[in-house]
Amino acid sequence: MPTNRRDFLTRSAAGSALVSMPAFLAGCSVTPARSPGSATPANPFLNWFGVDQAMLQQVLGELSANGADTAELYFQHNRTTRLRMEDSMVNSANTGIQQGVGLRVVVGDQTGFAFTEDLTLPAMLAAAHTAASIARSSGKAPPQAFDSQGMGELYTVRLPWSEVGINSKLPVLNRVDALARAADPTVEKVTVGWTDADERVLIATLDGRLIVDHRPMTRLSVFVTANRNSESRSGSANISAREDFDWYTPERIQEMVNLAVERTIVQFDAVRPPAGELPVVLAAGASGILLHEAIGHGMEADFNRKGTSIYSDMIDKKVAEPFVNIVDQGNLAGKRGSLNYDDEGNACGRTVLVEDGILRSYLHDTISARQYGLAATGSGRRQSYRFEPMPRMTCTFMENGPHTRPEIIASIDKGIIAETYTNGQVAIGAGDYTFYVKNGWLIEKGKITAPIRDVNIIGNGPESLRRITMVANDAEMDVGGWVCGKNGQRVPVSLGMPSVLVSKMTVGGENVG
Amino acid sequence: MSAELANRAGDAVTLAKAAGADDVWASALQQRTVQFVYRDGALETVKDNTARTLAIQVYAAGRYSTSQTTDLRPDRLARFLTEAVATTRALEPDADRKITPAELFANRPDMDLDLVDSEVAKIERHRRLAWCEALDGAARNHPKMISATSRVSDGTLQAASASSNGFEHTHTSTSIGLSAFITLKDQGDKRAASGYWASGQHLDSLPSPEHIAGKALELTVARLGAQKGPTTTTTMVVDARVAGSLVRRLLAAGNANLIQQGRSYWTPFIDKEAFSKILTITDDPLIPRGLGSRLADSEGISSRVLPIVEEGSIRNVYVDTYYGRKTGMAPTTGSMSNVRVALGTKSLDELIAEAGNGIYVTGWIGGNADTTTGDYSLGLRGHLIEQGKVSAAVMEMNATGNLRTLFSQLVAVGNDPFPYSTVLAPSLTFADVDFSGA
Repeated sequence: MPTNRRDFLTRSAAGSALVSMPAFLAGCSVTPARSPGSATPANPFLNWFGVDQAMLQQVLGELSANGADTAELYFQHNRTTRLRMEDSMVNSANTGIQQGVGLRVVVGDQTGFAFTEDLTLPAMLAAAHTAASIARSSGKAPPQAFDSQGMGELYTVRLPWSEVGINSKLPVLNRVDALARAADPTVEKVTVGWTDADERVLIATLDGRLIVDHRPMTRLSVFVTANRNSESRSGSANISAREDFDWYTPERIQEMVNLAVERTIVQFDAVRPPAGELPVVLAAGASGILLHEAIGHGMEADFNRKGTSIYSDMIDKKVAEPFVNIVDQGNLAGKRGSLNYDDEGNACGRTVLVEDGILRSYLHDTISARQYGLAATGSGRRQSYRFEPMPRMTCTFMENGPHTRPEIIASIDKGIIAETYTNGQVAIGAGDYTFYVKNGWLIEKGKITAPIRDVNIIGNGPESLRRITMVANDAEMDVGGWVCGKNGQRVPVSLGMPSVLVSKMTVGGENVG
Repeated sequence: MSAELANRAGDAVTLAKAAGADDVWASALQQRTVQFVYRDGALETVKDNTARTLAIQVYAAGRYSTSQTTDLRPDRLARFLTEAVATTRALEPDADRKITPAELFANRPDMDLDLVDSEVAKIERHRRLAWCEALDGAARNHPKMISATSRVSDGTLQAASASSNGFEHTHTSTSIGLSAFITLKDQGDKRAASGYWASGQHLDSLPSPEHIAGKALELTVARLGAQKGPTTTTTMVVDARVAGSLVRRLLAAGNANLIQQGRSYWTPFIDKEAFSKILTITDDPLIPRGLGSRLADSEGISSRVLPIVEEGSIRNVYVDTYYGRKTGMAPTTGSMSNVRVALGTKSLDELIAEAGNGIYVTGWIGGNADTTTGDYSLGLRGHLIEQGKVSAAVMEMNATGNLRTLFSQLVAVGNDPFPYSTVLAPSLTFADVDFSGA
């Protein structure tokens, strides 16, 4: 099927299919803090994957035997643990190990790709030979030696997740379950979900760089169902970061549970808003979904180098008011969307998409950067070694503006506040995008009057940017476990923004006048 | 290869049992996929991938866990299995987790589902290139063309399962898929974009590349000049190509997990009339060449035809062995196979003519539905229906309501099921749907 038609964003809830479970049984004996960089030798993952530099040279040589502008080997070992608690009992536990190497060669804008889960030299050479069939010119010599890049320090890991025992994790799930059940007498059912991942990446490039990244990831979620007068309502919350076990403080857990219960209970009194076009206040934090869908995907340079994005001809043009500044930044410490190096081995950094209302830069991978004659922006990401990289977002946010949230609300005669979301989607060419509002509020004559629930909002990216008429000074990054899908690949992302007023959007509603 | 996979699964059962498991279910999978992507007159990407996975379910001392790995080196695999058993023992007991009883995998249908085309394994580079060129040639045939991307994917999936209580099964299927995705220049900076695809297990199940690319171009041209539609309550005709996803949303609440967790709006309607009398939906795993066809499900439960909705009444829900025990319902199957929506007699043109005025939906974008309440709100694109004819293209609209109410207002079912999906749904007409637009 035409997989590049739409790109989507979802926020997994605990109730979704968590097939799951843990591995090492060692207790969580927390060791003194150690930075991965200081405790490990220069290329700690060569042994891990059972390869040496001579093998890497040989495989890269085969990969570029028919020509190459660039080529790389992407080794990955990812160990995941998933747990699900229902009816106050862990009833699903899963451990997954995914290990392999993705081999890619690029000539112009042509890509040859193969992967193998057999890391022996013959298997890797065979995969390299297959990938190399895309090219038809003279070979390129592999590097004579590799320059090892330093281990990045974006993530603070005292103990890797693969060494944290299940007996340390279970009390967290029990705690979430107990807190949710105690929060309100109407709470009937609680599902708690846990995921952690310990991911080792080794990238060897044709231009002689050897990059390692040891990436942690964790997510905790709670899904609550309450019953009042024989009516049921469900709501959820989740938190995620590239952090270790210590990130789960009692306060952070309590806050997540409170949010989930509040979002559920408020639905008993919630209404559907009127259908049609309304002013929409996007509340600070998770409303960054607007940026992700309305502009972020459209700024990924693969769409623009092909001319298929609505933003293809807009660089250096005014797209919004001067107080609108939008950034994608992959090097924010501990954030879910952050990476020391992207999946092509380029350092992640800060890319300004919109500066003072002017469209400034696309998000580039190596292919598009070469085509545009620019430096890559560290935006080349992939789901795993089974996929080739492409331009993706990391942490996308809007910076503070000159207004305040009370000013924004007071300015509205009839409209809504959108507060929590489950998912969004965009059509890159036409620019129409949507996001689904789980919770929000009705505004009448400058005041909040009633809760609303379950409405889809649809708009057009460039039009919505033009219609941002107020930006508040309360910017925050959301800590939710967002997953971005594009061309069949899913990657973790972060997003955030301050409270913003979009003067007109189409709001799904039932009360057609 | 099937024998090798069967051995791998059988060996895993033996090793895990030796490591202390009471019961074990193991599955070994291998999948080769080749994909050619062709864009604007040139080959853009060639991918040739072979994935392999071993997955096990371990039952030990009343406890249960699942694990999977792609690292099949003998020493690593042995350690993986030992750890899986040890991990299981560290969990709490769960009396409802038991290996699939043998009676549920007895009497597996003995029939050929015709899921393998030996020609697919013989496809070579020049043939894939020829299909790409044919797709590309037919797709890039418009003065407003910006870009056309064509894809050819083919592959073979092989899987084998074995269990400590006697289950053994192998499954092999081939696949071939062709698609075209087209972007045309539209008003201002806007692009009109759409696509079409066809897929199956057999080469002769697919229409020609020219037909596929021609449909893609026709659908893309239809998007040119789309404007925001009106805010109104009117009739909705959903094209067969996208009706399947709406049916999938409806069925999402029809499973024992959500019922047991109090999160299914279906619960009060089981064995009762819930939807329009013209709605009949069947889960049918035994359709020859069906994209979701299988002789056994992932738990080993032998396949059988399962009525889900009959003339508007809910007859069965999806029940796996675990939630069957928790709810007291008899296991059916835990997951969808092929879903057939019983056909009506009218063509799409007749449905549109009958509607008179309304909205003809040709694509969904975003939106969601709450399985607890059935409330939904979906983004869409399509066309106005005026005086019984398809007219102006519309976009940036939402349809909002409740799924049970919506399917109670199903007033006509077409005769045109979209074949390249596991949900075989025809075009559907619903009365009195709330739309938001301009």
